[in-house]
Amino acid sequence: MDMNHFITRRTALKRLLKISGSLALYASSAWSFRGPGSAWAKSEKKGLIVEGVGQTEGYSVRELTRKVLEAAGGITRFVSRGDVVVIKPNLSWARRPDLGATTNPEVLEGLIEICYEAGAKKVRIADHTIHDARRCFAITGAATVAKKTNADLIYPRSSLMKNMKLNGHRLDVWPVFVPLVEADKVINLPVAKHHSLSTLTLGIKNWIGAVGGRRHALHQDIHQSTVDLAQFFNPTLILIDATRIMIKNGPSGGSLSDVAAKNTLILSDDQVAADALAAMLFGYRPEEIGSISLAKKWGLGTYDFRQLDQKKVIL
Amino acid sequence: MKAKHLVWIRRISQTFFLLLFLFLLVQSRLPQDVFHEYSLVFSSELDLKIDQPVAFFFQLDPLVSLSSLLSGHHLIKGFWWGLGLLLMTLFLGKIFCGFICPLGTIHHVVSWIRPALKGERMVHANQKSPTQRVKYFLLITLLLGAITGLNIAGLMDPISLLFRSIALAVLPGLGVGLKEFFDWMANSNMKLLNLLSYGGEVLVSPVFGYGYQSYQTAWFIGLIFLVILFMNRIRPRFWCRVLCPLGALLGIFSRMSMLRLEKDHEKCTKCTLCAKDCQGAATPVPGQDWENAECLLCFNCFDSCPEGALAFRFRWSPKLNKGPDMGRRAVLGALAAGISIPLLGRLDGQVHKVSEPRLIRPPGSLPEKDFLTLCQRCGLCMKVCPTNVINPTLVEAGMAGFWTPRLIMIQGYCEYTCTLCGGVCPTGAIREFSVKEKIERPIVIGSAYVDRGRCLPWSGNGPCIVCEEHCPTSPKAIYFRKEIVTGPDRKSMPIQLPYMDLKKCVGCGICEYKCPVRGRPAIRVISAGESRSLRNRILL
Repeated sequence: MDMNHFITRRTALKRLLKISGSLALYASSAWSFRGPGSAWAKSEKKGLIVEGVGQTEGYSVRELTRKVLEAAGGITRFVSRGDVVVIKPNLSWARRPDLGATTNPEVLEGLIEICYEAGAKKVRIADHTIHDARRCFAITGAATVAKKTNADLIYPRSSLMKNMKLNGHRLDVWPVFVPLVEADKVINLPVAKHHSLSTLTLGIKNWIGAVGGRRHALHQDIHQSTVDLAQFFNPTLILIDATRIMIKNGPSGGSLSDVAAKNTLILSDDQVAADALAAMLFGYRPEEIGSISLAKKWGLGTYDFRQLDQKKVIL
Repeated sequence: MKAKHLVWIRRISQTFFLLLFLFLLVQSRLPQDVFHEYSLVFSSELDLKIDQPVAFFFQLDPLVSLSSLLSGHHLIKGFWWGLGLLLMTLFLGKIFCGFICPLGTIHHVVSWIRPALKGERMVHANQKSPTQRVKYFLLITLLLGAITGLNIAGLMDPISLLFRSIALAVLPGLGVGLKEFFDWMANSNMKLLNLLSYGGEVLVSPVFGYGYQSYQTAWFIGLIFLVILFMNRIRPRFWCRVLCPLGALLGIFSRMSMLRLEKDHEKCTKCTLCAKDCQGAATPVPGQDWENAECLLCFNCFDSCPEGALAFRFRWSPKLNKGPDMGRRAVLGALAAGISIPLLGRLDGQVHKVSEPRLIRPPGSLPEKDFLTLCQRCGLCMKVCPTNVINPTLVEAGMAGFWTPRLIMIQGYCEYTCTLCGGVCPTGAIREFSVKEKIERPIVIGSAYVDRGRCLPWSGNGPCIVCEEHCPTSPKAIYFRKEIVTGPDRKSMPIQLPYMDLKKCVGCGICEYKCPVRGRPAIRVISAGESRSLRNRILL
């Protein structure tokens, strides 16, 4: 290049335009929209459900997480080498983990470790929290877990919310938290809690934390909305944290008297079955919970446990 | 020491303090990556705090300490920094203005980058003028007002002004520009632009923080800042010469200064280069008296004199320097103004009689009367608030409370376990409080009420429990009664209707913020019930 001539502003701009134009062309040719496959269609594969209970005093929650996954046939059945795994915990509230409003950080830590052991390329934690995300991640312990395990903590920034077609019965186009769509494998990691409208908030309702927009309007048809979302996100695995469950004053709680110890983890690849078993911990029959019976009706899964490969682990 | 060296030391010092100011300003927020060992998390109620001494410049500013002391009879935390500065001024003159003040540095740079005036016209503009008395007028007005019960020093204090302007107007202004740019990229269908948008957001987040802040009426703050920057084109460092009350205070304290400008009449050729470069209009030309109280100690005259006729020297002498030229009329006027302003501020009865429902103060705020004796309107609480709920007032707190903080619940809400605003307030207008105190006492900032005409369940428009769901107290302040309501289509439906338990409501406003009824939410918070005021309570 002739260095003796100054580049004028005009030529510089021209060059920049050329470069960015060709980059853009290249990028648009490489870009293809890939949403997750719809789950409305019933899968014929036999599902599984594992219940893990810690009965010994001072058992390790991480160990229980590991045992539950082993009983399911090992994580390698679900996560392949080189996968990008995105975990959707429930970190909605800036509350201490023992108040039961958020997913137990030890379960999160255990799960991330197991995913990495299975050869996952990257594990990400993504949640669109209700309270300020920085405070939620710090206080619930998720930030520490991310740092310890080398997982990415994805903040719900506005540039990560994108309108997508949900193909729902009630919801058509809605802003979605993109990292959950762009994952190879999605794992739903909710905490089991009481909720004043949907009775309980378990796995299916946890997907409210995966969308943006006017999500508080979803409560006007909460059951169908959450089922639509569950169908859209269609996770590989559901692991429900019921180590301690919030039995009243949900979903935010705030007092230890709102919480009961259950020392249970529920793992399934069937969104309906996982929620149904968790609902039974609260003393409900699955069909009493609107989202569960609706999800079964639309074919997202079953709570007829005889149709599933059922296991129980005790630690 | 050679003049050249002194000027360079000044520039380095100015750069350092300006950068320090901006760094501390940027750090006045909840950092993004806060890690806590979660075994600790299990055991204690956490206070997330800001590690940096973000209030440092306010502690260094003697006007903040002095006005707080005179008005609120309160010694602010770190006041000895300001005391030290005053002592230094006694011996070294207005070294703060020339070497430290970040607002002065910005004016200096703006005046210097592209001087509006040239040659003889600049010499003329740098002559001392009677308008320079205005700052003494302002200082006396502000201090007297502070003594008589209304502290509005922060409106004019350079540190408060600069913090407020940058934190509430300049940074958010740039932030909005960036946000629009990133949103445009994020909404594109090109994968590369999406990634760049996310990358860009992460890249600017050390400065702009997580999320973008917006402030009501901040355009006005930004406009004033632009105007005072523009004034530098009429006279260099116009603000410092004419308006700055801190400069006036330091000018008064510089009477005994040992650092003096010595003039050599013999050597002077009357070239007036010194006057052309003088930043403070302090008459450096030999033959006239040096205005010690106006001199900003920039050392430009010393540096520019080609004949060596000017020199700054340390010399102890029992004789005082020339006193500040205040002007008798200005002083008398200031006395009158200083007494009138607090009275004018009381006219709306906000302190004694009425309580504005929209004036929701941050948790930990002192009772209104005491609050107004301490608040500097600096905007630090507004900058630090993670939900962006704290905004400057315009009319809600009356003239006396102009630009003081208030919470706007459609813009954010007060997070139940957050204590940041109390932790950073430089003067203690918002006192420091702990999470435990906030929850257990509790600190109440207002109370919510349901607007039944707008509420979805009450008006029969559908089920909704969003306010109750978000209510952070345990047990919740919002509770339900199951009732049968007739909807718009005349069908009756069983529905949960929200009711308020005023005994439990702390006024945090998350119900108002999250209410799906947009515009004017169906549940709203007013200041009534706030625990800082005995008069404004509702329940017995």
